[in-house]
Amino acid sequence: MKRSLAAIIFGAIALPATLHSQGMQFTFTGVASQEIVQSHIDATSTRFAGLMLGGEGTLTSNRLLVRLRYAEGRINPKGGSSGGLLGTGSTESRDVVEGDALVGYRAMPWLTLWAGPSARAYTLGAKNERWLIWTGRATARGTLLPGRMQTFVELYGAFSGNVGDPPLKVGGSGLNGGLEVRLGETGAFWGRLGYRMESAHAQGLRETVELVTLSLVYGVPQ
Amino acid sequence: MNRMFAAGLAISVLLVPAVARAQTAASMLERGVRAYGVHEYDGGAWLLRRALAVEGPGALSTAEASKGLMYLAATEVARNQRDSALAAARRLIVLDARYRPDQTFPPDVIAVLQEARRAAPAVSIRAPGDTAIRPGSDVFVVRLGATTSPEVTATIMGADGRMVRTLYTGAFRDSIDLRWNGLDASGNPPPDGRYAIVVAPTAREQRRTGGGATWSLRLPLELARPAVDTTPLPAAPPDSLLRPERGDMKGAIRALAPGIAAGAAIIILPKAVASGERASSARLIVGGSVAIAGIAAFLSRHPGQSLSSNTQYNRNLRDSWKRNVAEISRRNADRVRQAKLIIRPGAPTLVVGEAP
Repeated sequence: MKRSLAAIIFGAIALPATLHSQGMQFTFTGVASQEIVQSHIDATSTRFAGLMLGGEGTLTSNRLLVRLRYAEGRINPKGGSSGGLLGTGSTESRDVVEGDALVGYRAMPWLTLWAGPSARAYTLGAKNERWLIWTGRATARGTLLPGRMQTFVELYGAFSGNVGDPPLKVGGSGLNGGLEVRLGETGAFWGRLGYRMESAHAQGLRETVELVTLSLVYGVPQ
Repeated sequence: MNRMFAAGLAISVLLVPAVARAQTAASMLERGVRAYGVHEYDGGAWLLRRALAVEGPGALSTAEASKGLMYLAATEVARNQRDSALAAARRLIVLDARYRPDQTFPPDVIAVLQEARRAAPAVSIRAPGDTAIRPGSDVFVVRLGATTSPEVTATIMGADGRMVRTLYTGAFRDSIDLRWNGLDASGNPPPDGRYAIVVAPTAREQRRTGGGATWSLRLPLELARPAVDTTPLPAAPPDSLLRPERGDMKGAIRALAPGIAAGAAIIILPKAVASGERASSARLIVGGSVAIAGIAAFLSRHPGQSLSSNTQYNRNLRDSWKRNVAEISRRNADRVRQAKLIIRPGAPTLVVGEAP
């Protein structure tokens, strides 16, 4: 994980100057979040919680945007009976990896529409549980204090997706929102307090992920 | 023969208004000299005055002008116009204090010349023709001549009598070159217009000569500068680009609305997104923080509240514009400074009996 973070940080330092010279903007975000996962399979439910670390990069060229996000961490059981596709009765911690790859279009100065896949994988020993969901999203941004403080809300729904082997069809929706504050009057860094809730369901399965995130953003958040 | 020449001369004088423009100053000078030779003094005086009055590129050279003035003085003596003869002789002395006639003139003509020489301050000034210089880099040179060793001050004066620059103060013998680099006393090129190099005796020189009649020698100068291609200055930022420096209700509402809307969405929508799940209290903390931020933004922009960020933004905008104007002004000034200054000297005049 340290290598991944180092690579992301190096890229974040080297890329902006290169891209800026070509008329593009690059925003890099370092994210730390507390994640709560509620997993249900039939009548069995499990609750996990843990710390996630990751990064997010957004490339903006006029109205077009590309956003990549990656995070990983470990979640621990917090009650209920352990279950899910990884097996019932397990009380062990699980490694989690998740990410998005989205392409966006700024329809209005305050509204951006996104589309792309989101993936999430849990690992317990040699077993994996992979969720892949194609989503459509809408992000609305509002300015509280110009150049100083802004807020955002993002809603998304699943077009299609699958989980497990053999694959089960997945549906779902989600919400992401929060507050962004510039650190310093003319600084390049912004702080972000965010809340994310997403729910995915398949035949007999339902999984809800809730995150509170603290982020440090380099560049103007998009 | 002489009568035929005189008749031709009379006809030419009658026709002069029509053809004068076509005649060069040098040819009129030659005809005026020939008229003096054949005792046709009236027409000769007229031709000589016309030749001496020509300015600009077709004007007589200093040597030709000196010759013309000498013949004009002789012609006026022959016409019994002694005052006019003396005036012409004075102009001659101003132009060339050391002038020596190249032919034998009657004694009464020489006497007029001697009288003018005695009365004149014995200082002459000689300038080149039209000259183009680059102010600060090139120099415009005029030569002061004197038969004695006067102590003088030479200055460039504006048409309004304002002193532009002192070129020389001190005594000189025989001659001295006055050099002007095209800049005023503060190092800037003076604006276009009429100026004069004024040479006058110093106070000490006047005391030395027994407080006699004061004099000043003026060489008119016309300064002109060809049009320079400069960049127009940018207009001041329009009001539409400036942000309000005081809060108003509309701005306050626009700051409040996104905070309240986003905060409510974060608190309420998780239940819709994950129906049946029990969302944690984290959403209340985050959603509440967003809503409180919106309220804080509302209060910071309420009507009458000073908006320091907008004030700073406007100040930056204005400062940027001022810097831009200053930079363009500096470049324009450089271009103007680099442009050549055209100096057109006129005929020197001597004023006797007046303070300079």
